[in-house]
Amino acid sequence: MTATHKDFYFFSEFLARKLYHPDGSCLGRVVDLVAERVEPYPVVTGLMIRRGVRGPRAFLPWSAVSRIDPHLMVSPDSIQQSEAPERGGKMAFLREEVLDKQIVDTFGAKVVRVNDLQFLSLESQLRLVHVDVGFRGLMRRVGWKNWVSAVLRWLFAYELPDHFIPWKYVQLLSAGSGPLHLSVSQKKLGQLHPAELADILEDLGGRDRSAIFHALDTETAADTLEEIDDPKLQKALIETVTVEKASDIIEEMSEADAVDLLADLPQDTADEILDSMEEEWADDLRELLVHPEETAGGMMTTAYLGLAPDMTAAAAWQHLRDDAIDLEVIDYVYVVDGQDVLQGVVSIRDLLTSPPQKCLADIQSSRLVTVAPDADKDEAVELLAKYGFKALPVVDEQNRLTGVISFRSALEVLAPDAG
Amino acid sequence: MANPNRPFWKNLSLFFILMGPGIITSNVDNDAGGITTYSLAGAQYGLKLIWLLIPIMISLIVVQEMCSRMGVVTGKGLSDLIREKFGAKITFYLMIGMFLTNMGNVISEFAGVAAGMEVFGVSKFISVPISAVLVWAMVVKGTYKQIEKIFLAACVFYIAYVVTGVIVKPDWSEVLGQLVHPRLSLDPSEMTMVVGLVGTTIAPWMQFYLQASIVEKGIRMDEYKFARFDVVMGSIVVHVVAFFIILVCAETLHKHGIAIETAKDAALSLAPLAGDYCTFLFAFGLVNASLFAASILPLSTTYLICEGLGWETGIDKKFVEAPEFYGFYSLMIFLGAGIILLPGMPLIAIMYVSQVINGIVLPVVLIFILLLVNDRNLMQDHTNGPLFNTVAWLTTVVMIVLTGVLLVGTLQA
Repeated sequence: MTATHKDFYFFSEFLARKLYHPDGSCLGRVVDLVAERVEPYPVVTGLMIRRGVRGPRAFLPWSAVSRIDPHLMVSPDSIQQSEAPERGGKMAFLREEVLDKQIVDTFGAKVVRVNDLQFLSLESQLRLVHVDVGFRGLMRRVGWKNWVSAVLRWLFAYELPDHFIPWKYVQLLSAGSGPLHLSVSQKKLGQLHPAELADILEDLGGRDRSAIFHALDTETAADTLEEIDDPKLQKALIETVTVEKASDIIEEMSEADAVDLLADLPQDTADEILDSMEEEWADDLRELLVHPEETAGGMMTTAYLGLAPDMTAAAAWQHLRDDAIDLEVIDYVYVVDGQDVLQGVVSIRDLLTSPPQKCLADIQSSRLVTVAPDADKDEAVELLAKYGFKALPVVDEQNRLTGVISFRSALEVLAPDAG
Repeated sequence: MANPNRPFWKNLSLFFILMGPGIITSNVDNDAGGITTYSLAGAQYGLKLIWLLIPIMISLIVVQEMCSRMGVVTGKGLSDLIREKFGAKITFYLMIGMFLTNMGNVISEFAGVAAGMEVFGVSKFISVPISAVLVWAMVVKGTYKQIEKIFLAACVFYIAYVVTGVIVKPDWSEVLGQLVHPRLSLDPSEMTMVVGLVGTTIAPWMQFYLQASIVEKGIRMDEYKFARFDVVMGSIVVHVVAFFIILVCAETLHKHGIAIETAKDAALSLAPLAGDYCTFLFAFGLVNASLFAASILPLSTTYLICEGLGWETGIDKKFVEAPEFYGFYSLMIFLGAGIILLPGMPLIAIMYVSQVINGIVLPVVLIFILLLVNDRNLMQDHTNGPLFNTVAWLTTVVMIVLTGVLLVGTLQA
C-alpha cells in the first residue's frame, strides 16, 4: 500500500465502502476486517468483501489494497482472492467479534459497548490501537457526526469529545455464541480488584457473566463471589460451574460467606458440594449451616484461634503467626478450657505488650461480652457497635465457645447495599 | 423441569417463584390505551369484533414466548441482541422510533390518570402532577419493587369487569356465536379499530420489557417451562379482561346507541345502565392501570435505549455516573405529564401519531425478533419450529398490511 494520507483510520470509514479495481469496476463492499491477534496491537491482515446483498463473502489480503482515499482500491496484480482465515484461530473478525459488542474496560473497571475502532496506520500496516466507546463514535457510525458536532459547537461551544480505550485495557467477552470460554487470554482481568470484578459481573448478561466467572482462577473466583451482594447472583454463578470447582471455590471463601451461599442453594446441591470438600472444612460448614441465617449463629465463623489458659504469650504469638493465613478473626485470641468453656479474651495488643513468659490466664480480660447462637443478628450487631469490638464470641448455655462474629459480617448486616 | 419425582406442590411453588414477568407485562398491557380501545370497540361495533381477540391472543402468545425463550437462552435483553446483530445505525433509528412511540404511550397513561380521577371529581391539575412526582420518586428512591406488588394486587379488581359482564346478562349463546364467527368489512373506520386493537395488545415495548425481566430473573433453561406457562397465562388473562370490557360496553352502550369517545365517557355512561358502582370500578381500574403502566413504561424505555446505545444504566447509579439514563427517564415522565396539563394540546392527534409510529415500529421489531430467534449461532437448539415461524411471520405480514391500509386510508382522507 503506497498512498496513505492519514495517521488514523476508523472502522466506520471502511464498513460498507465499495472496493474498486483499477479499471473502475466495483469488486464488492467491505463487510468486515480481519486482524491477527498480536500483542500489544492487532494487525489488520485483510478485508472480507461481499458483492451484492446476498453474495458470497470473500477474503482479500490487506497487501492487495493500493490506496484508501479517495477510493478504496486494489493493485491490479494482486487480486487473486485467497482462502478466508478460519474462525476462532489467531485471526479475529473485528466486526463479528468486537464491533457493537460489550467489552470490559479493565482500566476504568466498567462494562462498555464498542461504537467504533481506531487504527493507526504505520509502515503500510493498520494496527488496532483504540476502541471508541463515546457518543462521537456512535454518531460517526450513524453518519450524523459532522452535523451533530457542528450544532453542538455552534449552540453551546461544546466540542464533542472522543472517548477511547487503549486496546491493552480491552477484555473481550465471549460474544454470545459458542461454548463458555473466553476467546482471548484472560490475564487482562487479573488487573481488576475482586470488588470491581463483582460490579462488572453484576452489569453483564447471563452468558458473558458465566464466561468471565469460568475464566477466573479459584482464589479470584472466591474473592469475587464474596464481593457480590446479591445472593441470587451468587447462587446463579456457582451453579454454572462443576461440583468439584464449586467446592474448591467455596473452600477459598470466608466461612460466613460460604455458609450464606450454601444456605441459599438447594439442599441436594449444597450436600453434593460439601461431600466433595475436604472433610474438616465440610464439618465446620455443616455445623454453621444448622444456625438460621438471621441469627447470631448464622453470622459466626469458626476460623478463630482458641488456646489453653496455661499457654505463654510467646507460644500464643507463635500460634497466631502460623495460623494467621486461615483465620478470619485475628484481632483476638480466645482462651478456652478443655471443655471449650470460654475463660477470657486476649487482644492482639495485649499479646504484643505482655512479657513473653506470662500465661494467657494472667493477661486475659475476663469481663466477657457474649451472645447466644439463637439471638437475633441485630442484637449481635448492637453489641459489637456498643462496645466497639472487632469481634464478638458466641457461646451456648454452658458458656462453651461455638464461634465468633467478625466485624466484617456485622458490616454486611448494617450496610448491605454499601459497596 | 423433567423430574417426575418432584412432588406436585414443589412444582407449584417453583411456578410461583418464577411467576411474574409474563403476568406483569400482560397487566401493564391493559393500560389506559388498552381500556379505551376495548371500550370504543364494544360501544361502536358491539360484539362484531370480539372474535378478533382469539387470533390476537395466539399471536401475542407466540411473540412473547419467543422473547422469553431468547432471554433464557442468551441471558441478554432484546436491544442488546439487536445492537450486536444489526449494528449501530439500525439500532439508533429503532431507538428513536421506540422513544417516540413510548412517549406517546406515556402521555396516554397520564391522560388515563387524569380521566379516571375526574370521574371521582379530582381535577387533572392535582392528579397528574402528583402522580408524575410519585412515579418519578418511586423509581429514583428504589421503592418500585415493593410498590409493584400493590399494583399487581390491584389488578384483581379487573374481576369487576367480569362481574359487571355477568350482571348485564348478555345472551351467552349470541356472544359465543360472535366469538366463533369472524366478520369483517373493509370500512375504513372499522379497519382503524382493528389496527388499534392489534396495536394496543401487541406493543413493541412489551417484547423488550418481557425479555429484560426474564433476564433479570435469571431463569434457566430447565426452569423455562414455568416461565413459559407464566407468559401464556398472562396473555390469556389480558384477553379475558379485554373480552369482558368489550362485552360490557357492547351490552350497555352499544345496545342503547350511546356514542362515546373516551374511556371516561364509557365510565360515566355506565352509571344509568349498570349502576353507580360500575362507573367507579371502571374509573378505578383505569387509574390503577394507567399508574401501573406509567411507572413501568418510562423506566423500561430508558433501559432499552441506554442498553442499545451503550450508556450506563441502573437506578443504583448516581446521576453523574448515568446522566443519559436519568435524563431520559425524567424527560419521559415530566414531558408526558406536562403535555396533559397544557391547555389546547391536540391530545387526540398526538395519540393518533403515536399509534401510527407504533404500527410502523412493531413489524420492524417483529422481524428482528424472528431473525434473532432463528439464528443458530445465538439460539443453538432453541430456534423456532415451523409452526411458530408460520404464526409469527403471519402476524408480521398482517401487521404490515394493516398499517399500510391505515396509512393509505389516512392519506386519502
